Amino acid sequence: MGSGMEFFIALLGPVLGVMFVALLVASFIALYTLAAVYAERKVSAFIQDRVGPLETGPRGLLQTVADILKLLLKEDIVPRMADKPLWVVAPFVVFSAVFVGYAVMPFGPELVAANLNVGVLFITAFAAFEVAGLLLAGWGSNNKYALYGAVRSVAQVISYEIPAGLAVLSVVLLAGTLNLQEIVLQQGIGASGPRHLFGLPFLPDVSALGGLFTWNVLAYPHLLIAFAIYFIASLAEVNRAPFDIPEAESELVAGYHTEYGGIKFAFFYLAEYGGMLLVGLIGAVLFLGGWHSPLPNLGPVRLADWTTGPIWGIFWLLLKGFAAVFVHMWARWTLPRLRVDQLMYLCWKVLTPFAVAMVVVSAFWASWR
Amino acid sequence: MMAQRGYWANLRTGLRTVWTGLRLTFRHLKQARRRRAPVPIWDPSYFRQPDGQVTIRYPHEAIPVPDTGRYRLHNHIDDCIGCLKCARVCPVDCITIETIKAVEDLGTTSNGQKKRLWIARFDIDMAKCCYCGLCTMVCPTECLTMTKVHDFSEFDRDNMVYHFANLTPEEAEEKRRLAEAAAARPTAPVREGASEKPAAGSGKPAFAPRAVPRGQSAPPGQAGAPATRPAFAPGAVPGPEPEQSGEAEPKAETSSPQAEERKPTPRPFVFKRKES
Amino acid sequence: MSTSPAAGAARWAASDPNRVRLKDLRTEEMVLNMGPQHPSTHGVLRLEVVTDGEIVIDVIPHLGYLHRCFEKHAESLTYPQVIPYVDRMDYLAAMNNELAWAVAVERLLGIEEDIHPRVQYIRVLMAELNRIASHLVSIGTFGQDAGAVTPFLWCFRDREHILNLFEWASGARLLYNYIWIGGLMHDLPVGFEERCREFVQYFRPRVRELNDLLTYNTIFVERTANVGVLPLEVAINYGCSGPMLRGSGLRWDLRRDDPYLVYPDLEFDVCVGRGEVGTPGDCWNRYKVRAEEIEQSLRIIEQCLDQLQRGVARRTADFDPQKLCPPRVVPPRGAEVYARFENPRGELGFYILSDGTEKPFRVKARSPSFSNLSVLPEISRGAMLADLIVILGSVDIVLGEVDR
Repeated sequence: MGSGMEFFIALLGPVLGVMFVALLVASFIALYTLAAVYAERKVSAFIQDRVGPLETGPRGLLQTVADILKLLLKEDIVPRMADKPLWVVAPFVVFSAVFVGYAVMPFGPELVAANLNVGVLFITAFAAFEVAGLLLAGWGSNNKYALYGAVRSVAQVISYEIPAGLAVLSVVLLAGTLNLQEIVLQQGIGASGPRHLFGLPFLPDVSALGGLFTWNVLAYPHLLIAFAIYFIASLAEVNRAPFDIPEAESELVAGYHTEYGGIKFAFFYLAEYGGMLLVGLIGAVLFLGGWHSPLPNLGPVRLADWTTGPIWGIFWLLLKGFAAVFVHMWARWTLPRLRVDQLMYLCWKVLTPFAVAMVVVSAFWASWR
Repeated sequence: MMAQRGYWANLRTGLRTVWTGLRLTFRHLKQARRRRAPVPIWDPSYFRQPDGQVTIRYPHEAIPVPDTGRYRLHNHIDDCIGCLKCARVCPVDCITIETIKAVEDLGTTSNGQKKRLWIARFDIDMAKCCYCGLCTMVCPTECLTMTKVHDFSEFDRDNMVYHFANLTPEEAEEKRRLAEAAAARPTAPVREGASEKPAAGSGKPAFAPRAVPRGQSAPPGQAGAPATRPAFAPGAVPGPEPEQSGEAEPKAETSSPQAEERKPTPRPFVFKRKES
Repeated sequence: MSTSPAAGAARWAASDPNRVRLKDLRTEEMVLNMGPQHPSTHGVLRLEVVTDGEIVIDVIPHLGYLHRCFEKHAESLTYPQVIPYVDRMDYLAAMNNELAWAVAVERLLGIEEDIHPRVQYIRVLMAELNRIASHLVSIGTFGQDAGAVTPFLWCFRDREHILNLFEWASGARLLYNYIWIGGLMHDLPVGFEERCREFVQYFRPRVRELNDLLTYNTIFVERTANVGVLPLEVAINYGCSGPMLRGSGLRWDLRRDDPYLVYPDLEFDVCVGRGEVGTPGDCWNRYKVRAEEIEQSLRIIEQCLDQLQRGVARRTADFDPQKLCPPRVVPPRGAEVYARFENPRGELGFYILSDGTEKPFRVKARSPSFSNLSVLPEISRGAMLADLIVILGSVDIVLGEVDR
């Protein structure tokens, strides 16, 4: 009995710790989603010469809070002909697939929940797992529009895994590791080994300079194209415009979440916005120096040193992530939607060949170095 | 497009046009710091407002409605002579009027017309009103007007019926008694209402369309109409045939009254799906 | 998508797997009911769509959700009373409908030629402004059907200015009852012409902006070019008119080919689908015809304004817009007329038969949306589901007019 209790207590500490971190991240995602939905409304409004939410709270800041309250208070309706278990579990599957991705995200020098040495693989795998949730939602709803949305989204997400994966691979080949934290460390002042400007050996070594110049996109210029490919593919992976065909409003009403309401709908929303930030963060980690500051050390002005640390790390990484989310929104309110076959054309005939080319360049670069 | 232009050209155009669009929307995003003022259209600065947000924050501010605005009917009952013109012209029959012949002198309206009738009932059902303004145009004393008051929604539909009578029901009863007493001597009582006007269509004389070949024996009034029309000149060659030719033939067999009254035998509706 | 299990398994077992080909797999068609509540059916249209995966096999439009018996109503209304009902047919182009009804009745009465030039120019001005407003809605919703929301709001932003102009002139923003039989409800308010000219100046750059954002955007072009191609002969056979017909390449515009009012005196081009992108008759070309017609309408408006400000139609003290409005409209017994007009959506025709009373004996409205919609199944078979929405958007129907 005593040993059982000791064992239990010994277990309790780490479990509580993990739960605390998980709750922290979960509440962060929830808060961020509130802000992002508000931002999306404002961005779309400003682009369209409107004003956006204004009435709820100062400058409409509480609008999304009111919305989430409404969603929480709504009656939880299950369609009579729905496949109930699948239907109920789907939003949580979708959300957890996104949520788990944050576990391996390095937010600062020591700030990473799970410093996995296969972090890249882990994130890619779970991003693909999201598809299962979408399919459950579409099939479980027993609604034709939802089914269309689900089938479309599965085809889309799985296809776009390829160019996104190849773009990531071109980084991994050069980094020589799958650990996200190590990939980040290579891109800053603490990097081991020389990093020449633009990767050209006759240009000066910039590893002491830090900042912008040590980021992967500048250290290996071809990764700029890889980053563009990754960014476009990531738009498709999180089902955002112009690749929002799974929830194409004008065609499929709301796609796979047509039948959802209340808190389950809120979870789809959390997943969508959480996913947007996650792919932005991954892009930042792989290509844009992760939590490293963009400011270089210039002689006695040690900007990079001054702006590096746990708090700075979170700040820079989130800044980069939010910038990506902003571009997502900007593109959404500018571009029309692609059709299914054009989506596949873009994936297989444009992005994938270029991504393969980038992998080849990376492979030669890595072996030549 | 893909086939026409080739892979690289297509890719280039794609990137260029997407970039153009993104630049354009970003410019609007930046412009959103400014906003246009809610000036009315007759203000000279209406089209000189800055680019930017255009939304009018409605309950807090509004673009003034022009004086011509047709948003709510109002009857200045002191000037109403109960002529029923408005009730007759209304396309949706939303005005109900009941008048009682006055035995006493009611004076004149503000434009000098003699008033002879009490208006026992002048109800406008604004829920039925189609805001066409025809009633205000026929009003001889201009007592019935469209005002620019808007936003008068109600929770109860009965509140949308506006009562403009100048008599209470009790007074109306008394006036009616007086009128009847007065009428018992010389003439019959006058009591009219919009509801008593002939029901739609029933008062029409029976009429059967006759096939009139154009230009030959058209009725006098119509004779000018087709002749004065500009000559029909199709510009492009493969156009559809103009309607003028051969209009009379198909009508000839359906024109007799007997043909109109004969009911067609119902045919079962057969749904056929077209093969793809 | 599912194979019939028993048959499939038997075939599988009995034969070499390589002999099972794609066409042996039995798939099921799915009937998708699109509407009457659907974001993209532009009202209460119901499309019964037979689909094979994403491919549309057949479309059956079901109408009548907005049927209001316009033609029957008209038989129990006097001629001027019909105008508010006519407004409600194509509610996005009410001025054009009023103009059509008013001119048709004037033709019936034989007073068409007596209308004061100022009245005529104001009518044309209003009709062309409303054409722009209507095309803006059409273009905006078309963009939205293709997934671009921003052009929609930009279009509505500019349409708002036109509606403000209309409200100033007529007192109403959507259903005007402004153009009357024999005249107009009022003259234009003082300063209207100047403001209208400012609108033209304001609006021209906005059209260019719209072209940059939408018309030539590659994604938009890919979505709409070569989609829903309507060959010219099919368009003629189905009675398509307006931008539908012109998009297929026929230079046919009733303002030019069967002119009414002062259109013969005005200079404008008839825009046709030239296949600049895609092929003539596809969704992009129909869209482009509308976009170009906006610019042509601006030209017409400028010419009207010249006449209204300085020319034959300038403001005079003794001008009475209701001078010719008959107190009782009573066409002679047996008089009939079919008059047709170029509405934003195509040929709006009114057949009116008089029985010598002040109410028409029979009215038939030939509405462009209805005829144009009838061609929808023809051009959307074999398209994808997403194309169907775009095709429907390019047909540009107003359900108030389809059902009447």
